[in-house]
Amino acid sequence: MQAMQASCVKPRIGVYVCHCGLNIAGVVDVVAVRESASSLDGVVIARDNKYTCSEVGQKTIADDIRDFGLDRVVIASCSPRLHEKTFRALLEKCGMNPFLLEMANIREQCSWVHSGDSEAATEKAKALVRSAVARARLLTPLSRSEGRVVPKVMVVGGGVAGISAALYLGNMGIKTYLVERQPSIGGHMAMLDKTFPTLDCSLCILSPKMVEVAENENIEVLSYSEVEKVEGQVGDFRVQVRRKARYVDEDKCVGCGDCAAKCPVRVPDEFNRNMGERKAIYIPFPQAIPPAYVIDAEHCRYLTQGKCRVCEKVCERGAVMFDQTDRIETIEVGAIVVATGFQPYDASNKPQYGCGRYPNVITSLDFERIICADGPTHGKLKRPGDQAVPKRIAFIQCVGSRDEHRLDGAGAYCSRVCCMITAKQAFMIKEKYPDSEVYVYYTDMRTAGKGFEEFYQRGRGEGIVFVRGKPGEVREEEGGSLRITSEDADSGCILDLSFDMVVLAVGLTPPEGLVDLAQRLNLSRSADGFLMEGHPKLRPFETSIDGIFLAGCVQFPKDIPDSVAQAGGAAAVAAATCSRQKIEMDPLGPIIDEDLCIGCRLCEMLCPYGAIKVEKTDRGYKARSIEVACKGCGVCGASCSARAITMKHYSNDQIVAQTKALLEVS
Amino acid sequence: MADLAVEGRATVEGRDGEGFEPEVVGFLCNWCSYAGADLAGTSRLAYPTNLRVIRVMCSGRVDPETMIEPFLHGADAVMVLGCHPGDCHYLSGNYQAEQRVRTIWMVLDHLGIDRERLYLDWVSAAEGARFADMVSEFVARVRTLGPAGGGPASREGLSRGEFAFRAEVARRVAGGERFRWLVGRNKALSEEGNVYGEKVSPHKAAALMQSVIADECVRAAIEVLAGEAPVSVRDIASRLGISAQLVLEQAAYLKRRGLIELYDVSGRSPRYVRAGARA
Repeated sequence: MQAMQASCVKPRIGVYVCHCGLNIAGVVDVVAVRESASSLDGVVIARDNKYTCSEVGQKTIADDIRDFGLDRVVIASCSPRLHEKTFRALLEKCGMNPFLLEMANIREQCSWVHSGDSEAATEKAKALVRSAVARARLLTPLSRSEGRVVPKVMVVGGGVAGISAALYLGNMGIKTYLVERQPSIGGHMAMLDKTFPTLDCSLCILSPKMVEVAENENIEVLSYSEVEKVEGQVGDFRVQVRRKARYVDEDKCVGCGDCAAKCPVRVPDEFNRNMGERKAIYIPFPQAIPPAYVIDAEHCRYLTQGKCRVCEKVCERGAVMFDQTDRIETIEVGAIVVATGFQPYDASNKPQYGCGRYPNVITSLDFERIICADGPTHGKLKRPGDQAVPKRIAFIQCVGSRDEHRLDGAGAYCSRVCCMITAKQAFMIKEKYPDSEVYVYYTDMRTAGKGFEEFYQRGRGEGIVFVRGKPGEVREEEGGSLRITSEDADSGCILDLSFDMVVLAVGLTPPEGLVDLAQRLNLSRSADGFLMEGHPKLRPFETSIDGIFLAGCVQFPKDIPDSVAQAGGAAAVAAATCSRQKIEMDPLGPIIDEDLCIGCRLCEMLCPYGAIKVEKTDRGYKARSIEVACKGCGVCGASCSARAITMKHYSNDQIVAQTKALLEVS
Repeated sequence: MADLAVEGRATVEGRDGEGFEPEVVGFLCNWCSYAGADLAGTSRLAYPTNLRVIRVMCSGRVDPETMIEPFLHGADAVMVLGCHPGDCHYLSGNYQAEQRVRTIWMVLDHLGIDRERLYLDWVSAAEGARFADMVSEFVARVRTLGPAGGGPASREGLSRGEFAFRAEVARRVAGGERFRWLVGRNKALSEEGNVYGEKVSPHKAAALMQSVIADECVRAAIEVLAGEAPVSVRDIASRLGISAQLVLEQAAYLKRRGLIELYDVSGRSPRYVRAGARA
């Protein structure tokens, strides 16, 4: 028998079978389930309620706890992942230990998946309740341990979502670290020329925010840095951040540019989508924050070949530091906001469109750089192949989006922003070059957003031709022009047209490295590869891990206002975490029976957290649990060679009792 | 001879293959597979009602004994579902689960129980559809295996009593110290080496495990058979289909450990009872 079991007093169990309106009662015969429950050993009262989680439902339970002296509560309703917290809080309010609650999931794992067979679903529900009651009998009161709260937040990712989240937090007076992989914050928004539907200059509205970040005394920007490792839990995370060697002292560099002027190495400029050139010592774009140069170690002549050091010589302030190395900084925070954004779909995975093969087929992000006054062509629309001004331009929508085959990294989902990006870009062409001809090949034009449809209609009014149909291929012709043969699904005609340039509206895909980051943070990813939110409707900022929150496109593609809105929400929930005095932690650790423990060290070797250590005692070597480090997975208990370990709240006795009850014949 | 009866479902009709409804117990980890099962529900993806789920925090929480326990109470199959490799909420619990399942498969193979009755797989929190398909396919496969202990109607051809006997043997093996130590150390033995720093090749580790399982199965079987009433070495040997010499060796070991005691010598074969049963 379990050591902690509360004496031999017979438990007094209350069972509540929820109708959940018709969600459960529409399939499962809840009255039969209740009747079956009432005959179980230890059950003193069984009821069925319309909505157990409602005010009325909860009051019934509270009254019963008082009137019947209940000491265990079993609720047969939805998933414990949804309402376990609600009912634990109820038990606490009624003066009961919250761990004397057990739930039977008869909705998500019964009525909702067995709607075709009421009889079998009812039998299964009975078994699940039987199992819950069997477990409830063996539950023991547990007390939660308390953890500290570090009132600081780390925002990972310095795009518009990360910048916004950091500003919201900084302005609340919360110390915030903004970690960015690139040498400058700004993200994809810094690369855009204009934003839809207002045609605001992108950097003109972003750059003041970036400056605000730099000036906010509560925000520390850790640029050119990546998260290496995360330990701890909500309220008390320890994050190891790799500060990549910049070879330039951020504090000394004033961004004069003398170094770059003299640097002999020219490299394709990734900020301009490799359409222009930069030097090996460079600043990603003029408005970069921090406004400091960085040396590209992969191309620097001194770092690769051992001689040069011209930049060091010309820098009057002595900011170039070739002896810098990567260093790991450990930062303690109470909450983490993940805002690592997206990456554009790699269009070269669709060889039929020729991106990467035909110079005049470009992506929508390439187009942003070309049309941008700061870009490689200084804002003149020139096609990359021969720098000629294209007269006839085609856009192809849904490249890497809404692709049900999902090959080559494409998503089955709609990327949400590409229709409006194309509407904007087409409009900008018409604005700058009114006599050009612009065609848009689309699947559906999706313009759901404030002012979006109006903007799209304005574009139609300007003479942009919208063709419903997805071209099968783009062929290059002599002189670099491109031929598209496609059906116009609206008229049924085959259109065979030649263009000077083709723009592929690429979708948004999960950013590079997200798989690793998700593993480091222990976060789940949705089927589309983006990070999964706590609940698709009600917990859009949260994740499955307490204290880690989401903002922006890392959760799913969204436009700028939505990213900023989510950043605000994530900042609010992160701030709420940091405002707590302490965090209560579930006590799910091991209880070690020293009489049985033989000190074999198996538990110590298998514990992923180093939370169990074998120590010498006067009775020989014995395992000891280190409560603060323990996360309650139960690997030690399931492995113990001497079966000396009982897991709190998930004991073998409880699991065996559940097993037996599930297989009993009703 | 001791013949264990299956508790619970043993009396249910329709376990002979006709209209056979498999009883499947699933151990699902809280973070991935249970969440995936919830998502199947939220998405209203139907699957057979045969699966009954027990939620645990981690697939690494599922004790090898616990994996076999359902077979003692009438289950036809057991599912252990965890997070995908690398995605474990507790870093490595799913690898432990995998290690245990693989070793229990060896025990089941040794005992003539079809290893397909114990199923291991990974379901992420986003894979509601995968979970529903997995359950449907697995239940269909268990139908082809037939009822556990269903005699000729089952793949193994074991009678109800014989299946229960073997499942009990498997459970005891899974609870044994030597077995549990090897399961826990198996991976480390080949990757990090033993206490002398010698790395054991996976092949050798498997052979070692195989021989331990063979010994442990005989020991467990003797313990089960030597109950309140004495049983002779000859009878045990013929029941297990092994030589009397092998039984005698293991019986001597159990006697040394004080687990069984010599009752008398009947004919030329010693008879043993459970320690303390005589008093």
